[in-house]
Amino acid sequence: MTRLAIDIGGTFTDVVLEREGAIHSHKLLTTPAAPEEAALEGSAFLVSELGLSFADVRTVIHGTTLATNALIERRGAKTAFITTEGFRDILEMAYEKRFEQYDTDLQLPQALVPRELRFTLRERIAADGRVLAAPDREDVRALAARLCDEGVEAVAVGFLHATVNPAHEKLVHDWLREDLPAKVTICLSCEVSPEIREYERFSTTCANAYVRPLMAHYLHRFDAALRERGFAGQFMLMLSGGGLTTLEQAARIPIRLVESGPAGGVALGARVARETDEAKLLAFDMGGTTAKICFLEDAVPATTRRFEVARAWRDIKGSGLPVRVPTTELVEIGAGGGSIARRDALGRLAVGPESASSVPGPACYALGGAMPAITDANVVLGKIRPEGFAGGKITLQPELATAAIEEHVATPLGLSSAEWAAAGILEVGEEAMANAARVHAIEQGKDVTRYTIMASGGAGPLHAVRIAEKLGIARVIIPTFAGVGSALGFLSAPVAYEVARSTLAPMERLDLNRLAMLQEEMRREASAVVLPALAEGEPATISLAAELRYSGQGHALRVPLEKPLANPADAKALEQAFITLYRETYGTVLENNPVELVALSLICRGPAAPLVEAPAADAGKQTTIAGTVKVFDPVRGEFVESALVPREGLAPGQPLPGPALVSEAQTTAYVPTGWAITLHPFGHVILDREVRP
Amino acid sequence: MNATTPLSDADIIAMNVLWNRLISVSEEQANALLRVAFGAIVRESGDLSAGVFDAEGRMMAQAVTGTPGHVNTMARSVCAMLEHIPADTLVEGDVLVTNDPWLGAGHVFDFVVVTPAFVNGRIVGYLASTCHVVDIGGLGWSAEGRSVQEEGVLFPVMKLRKAGVLNEDFLGIVTANSRIPREARGDIISLMSCNDEGLKRLLDLMAEYELTSLQPLAAFIFERSATATREAIARLPAGIYSADTTLDGYDAPIEIRARMTIGDGVIEVDLAGSSPAAPRGINCPLGYSQAYASFGIKVAVAPHVPNNHASLEAIRITAPSGLIVSAERPAPVTARHVVGQALPDLMLGCLAQAMPGQILAESAGALWVLAISGEDAGPEARSFASLNVALGGMGARPASDGLSTTAFPSGVGVVSVEVAESVAPLIYERKEFAPDSGGAGKWRGGLGQEIRIRAAKDQALIVSAAAFERLRRGAEGREGGLSGLPGAARITDGTEITSKGLYRVPPGEALVLRTPGGGGFGPATERGTERVEDDLRRGMITQAVAHEIYGLK
Repeated sequence: MTRLAIDIGGTFTDVVLEREGAIHSHKLLTTPAAPEEAALEGSAFLVSELGLSFADVRTVIHGTTLATNALIERRGAKTAFITTEGFRDILEMAYEKRFEQYDTDLQLPQALVPRELRFTLRERIAADGRVLAAPDREDVRALAARLCDEGVEAVAVGFLHATVNPAHEKLVHDWLREDLPAKVTICLSCEVSPEIREYERFSTTCANAYVRPLMAHYLHRFDAALRERGFAGQFMLMLSGGGLTTLEQAARIPIRLVESGPAGGVALGARVARETDEAKLLAFDMGGTTAKICFLEDAVPATTRRFEVARAWRDIKGSGLPVRVPTTELVEIGAGGGSIARRDALGRLAVGPESASSVPGPACYALGGAMPAITDANVVLGKIRPEGFAGGKITLQPELATAAIEEHVATPLGLSSAEWAAAGILEVGEEAMANAARVHAIEQGKDVTRYTIMASGGAGPLHAVRIAEKLGIARVIIPTFAGVGSALGFLSAPVAYEVARSTLAPMERLDLNRLAMLQEEMRREASAVVLPALAEGEPATISLAAELRYSGQGHALRVPLEKPLANPADAKALEQAFITLYRETYGTVLENNPVELVALSLICRGPAAPLVEAPAADAGKQTTIAGTVKVFDPVRGEFVESALVPREGLAPGQPLPGPALVSEAQTTAYVPTGWAITLHPFGHVILDREVRP
Repeated sequence: MNATTPLSDADIIAMNVLWNRLISVSEEQANALLRVAFGAIVRESGDLSAGVFDAEGRMMAQAVTGTPGHVNTMARSVCAMLEHIPADTLVEGDVLVTNDPWLGAGHVFDFVVVTPAFVNGRIVGYLASTCHVVDIGGLGWSAEGRSVQEEGVLFPVMKLRKAGVLNEDFLGIVTANSRIPREARGDIISLMSCNDEGLKRLLDLMAEYELTSLQPLAAFIFERSATATREAIARLPAGIYSADTTLDGYDAPIEIRARMTIGDGVIEVDLAGSSPAAPRGINCPLGYSQAYASFGIKVAVAPHVPNNHASLEAIRITAPSGLIVSAERPAPVTARHVVGQALPDLMLGCLAQAMPGQILAESAGALWVLAISGEDAGPEARSFASLNVALGGMGARPASDGLSTTAFPSGVGVVSVEVAESVAPLIYERKEFAPDSGGAGKWRGGLGQEIRIRAAKDQALIVSAAAFERLRRGAEGREGGLSGLPGAARITDGTEITSKGLYRVPPGEALVLRTPGGGGFGPATERGTERVEDDLRRGMITQAVAHEIYGLK
C-alpha cells in the first residue's frame, strides 16, 4: 500500500511517501500563489524516484496552514453577516476589553466582516428557546437583494440563542438559498460552532464563511490536479482536532483545518507513544518561528474547543479572533530557531517572539541578518555544526553569529563573553518553553514530571534535553524522521470527526429523553462524516464526553463517558466523576453546590494506523563515532569535548553516555553530560537521564 | 548575591529567568481564579487581580489580567493588613482576609485574600488576590447608603483559614448576610484556592533554583524597575502642571483638582482643592484614588516597566483627608469608582502639558455598572439581582482612533448577552454602537453604545444609576479634537435618569442607555477624506456630522 502525506507550511512543503512500511521524504519551498504546485512537484519527485506512478497511490493526506494564512492576511471572500436586530456590532465589540493593561496604543483585531456588511433581521429567541419574534419572509427577500447588489461571496448567519433553538437560522438559510445565487456560500452559527456566548460563535461562523470559497476552490483544484496525474484513491484532510476527514466535509467547514499542521506533529506523538509504550507523552515540536507543546495520555492527545487565530498584537492572548472548533489542545510559544534575542527597554535579556524567518535569517546564515537568533547562540556554543546545516544547503558563518551576539546581547547586558551571552539566550528561550509546558500542565491538572518528551521539528532535538531537565523529566525521545514530523504524523492519524452541543441544565433536573435524542443525533452526524471514509470492514468507535461545572461557575471540566447518558444512575455516576476530577484539579470540592451539565461532545473514530517495526539492525553492529567537537557547558563554564555521532551510525545495545551530538540531515540532538543514548527497536533515539550515584 | 555587589554572569541570567517566572506565577494564580470563580462579573469580565509579594509585603509581580483599582490598592493592602495581624504571629496554613474599603480596594464588595509562603518555617513572601463579590448584605449595589455600615457587612482583617482549617465562623457570617450566599462563599474560597495554586508554583520555583529567600530577587526587580521609572520621569520637563474636571456627582456637580509636580525622578500629585466628601456612596478612599491616579500616570510615562512596588514608588499621590478623593470612615463608598476612574483622565490632562502631542484624549471614564434587580412579583417572577457593565468609548490616541465600547481606565470586560440572559430574567433588546458618539478629530474618539433592557417576565425592575456618570459633560478632546457625546439614560415611561439614585422600570417598560463616547485627537479637518467616508459608509457617523464637522463635500 502506498500513501502520500503533504504538509504545506509557511516556508516549506514537506512530502512523505510511505510504501510497505518504508518512509521516503522530500522538502521543498512553498509556492504561496498556488500552494498545490510545490506539493505536486514534491509528490511527483518521490513517486518517480521509487519508480511508481500516481495510480499506485491509494491515499493522499493533506494538512495546510492555508486557511490560517488567509485569516491572517485577510485574503478571504467578501463576506456578509446577518444577525438579530439590535445587535449589529457584537462582532466588533468583541469582549469590550483591553488585553493589555498598560499599552494605550494597542489595536484590537479588525472584525472579519466590516460594519457596512453586517445586517440585522427582526427575529428573537429567548434564553430558554421561546420565540419572541419570528423572522419575516419579505425582510429576508429585501436583504437578499441587498446582498446581491453588494456582490457578497459568502454569508454568515448568527442569531442570539441559536444554540438553544436553531429554527430561525435554518429558516433564514432556506429562504436565502431560494433568493441568492448558488455560488454564494451560506454558513449558520448553529452548525459551525453550536455553543453559548454569541461573540465567539459569531466570530467562528464568520471565519468559516470567510475562508470557505477559497478553501473549497483550492481543495477541489488540488484534487483535480492529482486525478489528472492518474491518482484514483482517496484525498483526505487533516483536521485541527487530530482526525482525518473527507474533502467534501473539509470544504464545508474549513475552519476546522486551522491548526492542521501542528495536529500532524501531535498525531506523530500518538504513534510514537504506542510504539514506545509511553503512557504519558509530551509532544514538543520546535521549528523556525514557534514551538508547540501538547500532552498525550495513553497515546490520545488532549483536545479543546477554544482557540485563537491571527493574533494582531505581539502574539498576546486576546488579540486574535476566537475560533471555537475542536482543536488539539496545544500551546504555541514564539520561540524557534529564528527567534531574535535583544536587550529590552528594562535592560533584560529578551528572546522572541519576533523571528528572523528565512529572510534575512539568523546572522550566521550570512544573508544580511544582523540580529542574533537562537540558531546563532547554538552555533556559538558548538551545538550546531557550521557545515552540513539543513542537509548541506547552507554553510553557516560562526563569526557573524559571535559578532551579532556580542553587539546586541553581551555588551548591552554587561556579560563577559559571547559564549555566556549565547548561554543566556538559550536559557531564556528554553525557560520560556519549559514554563509554557509547566503552565499548560497546571491548567490541565497534570504533573509534568511524569511525562516523557518527544521532540520533533528542526530545532526540537537541540533543546529538548535542557527543557526536560527544567521540568524534572527523565526521558526524551527523538523519533525517526523528526524533521518532517507533521507530515509523518498525518499518516498515523485515524479518520475522525467530533461534534459538540451546549446542554446547559442542572444535573438534578436533566431531561434524559431529550439528551438521548441529542446523543443519537450527534452520533448520526459524526458517523455520516466518518463511515463513508473508511475502507470496507473497518470498524468505527464512538467516544462521548461531558462537560460539567458547579452551578454559578464559568469554566467546565471534561469528564469521559463510558456509555451514553441514559438513566438517573448514569447521571449520578457522572456527577461523582466530576467531583473526583474537580478535587484532583483544584484540591478542593464545594459542598452542597449543585452541578450543571454544560455540554456534550462525541467523537466517531476509525482505526489507528497499524505499527510497523523497523527492520532489525545487524546484531554485531557497533555504534560509529565520527569524532569529537567542543560544546559549551554552562554548568562548568567552559567548552567540553563531546562525541559526534551520525544517527545512522547508532547501533542497538550498550547506552552511549553524553556529552554528544547526534546528527542527521534535518536536525541535531544535543545530549549533555548526565544523559545516555540508546536506540529503540522502532528506530527512535532514546535519551535517558543517568541515575546519579 | 545582593544588590550592592556586582552580579556574576550566571546570576544575571538566573535573575532574568526568575523575574519572568514570578510574573507567570501570578498569571497562573489569576487564571485559577477565573476558572473557579462564581460571579459572572469575575469569571466573564475579569474583575479581579493577583500578585506575588516579598517578605516585607512589597509587590514583586502582578498578573497581566487584572484591573488597576484592584492591583494598585492590593500593592498597599498586604503591608496594611500585616499591621493588624503581624507577620510573626502567622503560621503555615494561615490565610488573611478583609473587605475593609480603607485597607482593600475601596468598597465592601472587594475581598482581599493574603496567603503567607513559608520556607523552612520562615515567611519568604505572600500571595494576594482580590475579586468582586456580588452581594455581601446591606444595601447591595447602590449609592443610597449614608454610611459605610449600611453598605454591607464589614470584615476587619481576620483569618479565613487558621493553620489549614477553614474559619467557618467567618464564612457563616458571609452566608448569613449575602443574598446569594453560595456564590459569595464560593468566590471567597476561590480567592484562597487561587493563592494556594500560586503558592505551590512559587515554592516549586524556589526549590528548583535552591532559593531560601526571595529578597535578592526582590532587590534586583526593584532596582531595575526603579531605575527604569526614574529614567522615564527624567525625560519629562520638570515643572508644575494643573488640571481640573467636573463630575455629575450624585445630584450636584463635584470638582476634582490636581496639581502635578515633576522633578528629581519623581512625580508628586496633590488633589487638594477637590470637593469635600459627599453624603451618598460615591466617595473614594485615598488608596483607591492613588491606585487609579498612579495608573493614569504610568500608562503615559512608563508603560513598559512591569507594575510593582518600585515602579509605583516614584509616583506619589496625596490629598488632605475628608475630600471626595480621600473620604474617611464612615463615609459611604460603594460607587467609589465614579470618582477614582475619573482620575486617569485628570492625570493625563496634566501630562498633556508636559508631553504635548503624545497623550490620548479623555475617555468615557467610570464603568457604568448595570446593577439590576427584579421586584418580587409572586411565583412567576421572583426577585433576583444581576450585575453587568455598559462600556463607553476610549479617547482617540495620538496615531489612531479610540477603541469603541472598551473600558479605560478599568480593565473589566462585558458579560455576553447570552450569558447575561441565562443568569437573570432579562431581555436585551439592543446593544449597538451609538453613531456620532465618538468625539470628532483627526483621530476619532471610540464610540459609546446604545443598550435597551427589559424584564423577561411581567415584573418591575430596579436599576441603580449609581455609576451612570458623564451624563452632563462629554469626554474632552485633545490637541483640537472635539468632545465625545455625553451619556444618556432614561426609562421608556418618560423618566429621565439624572441622579445616581435607584430607578424603577415598570412592567412592560425598558431601560434605555447610551454610554459616553471618547474624545477626539487633533482637528477634525485633518482627518483624511477616506477615513471620513469609511466612517460614513459604516454608520459610525451620520451625514450631518460628516458634512458639518468634517467638511465632507
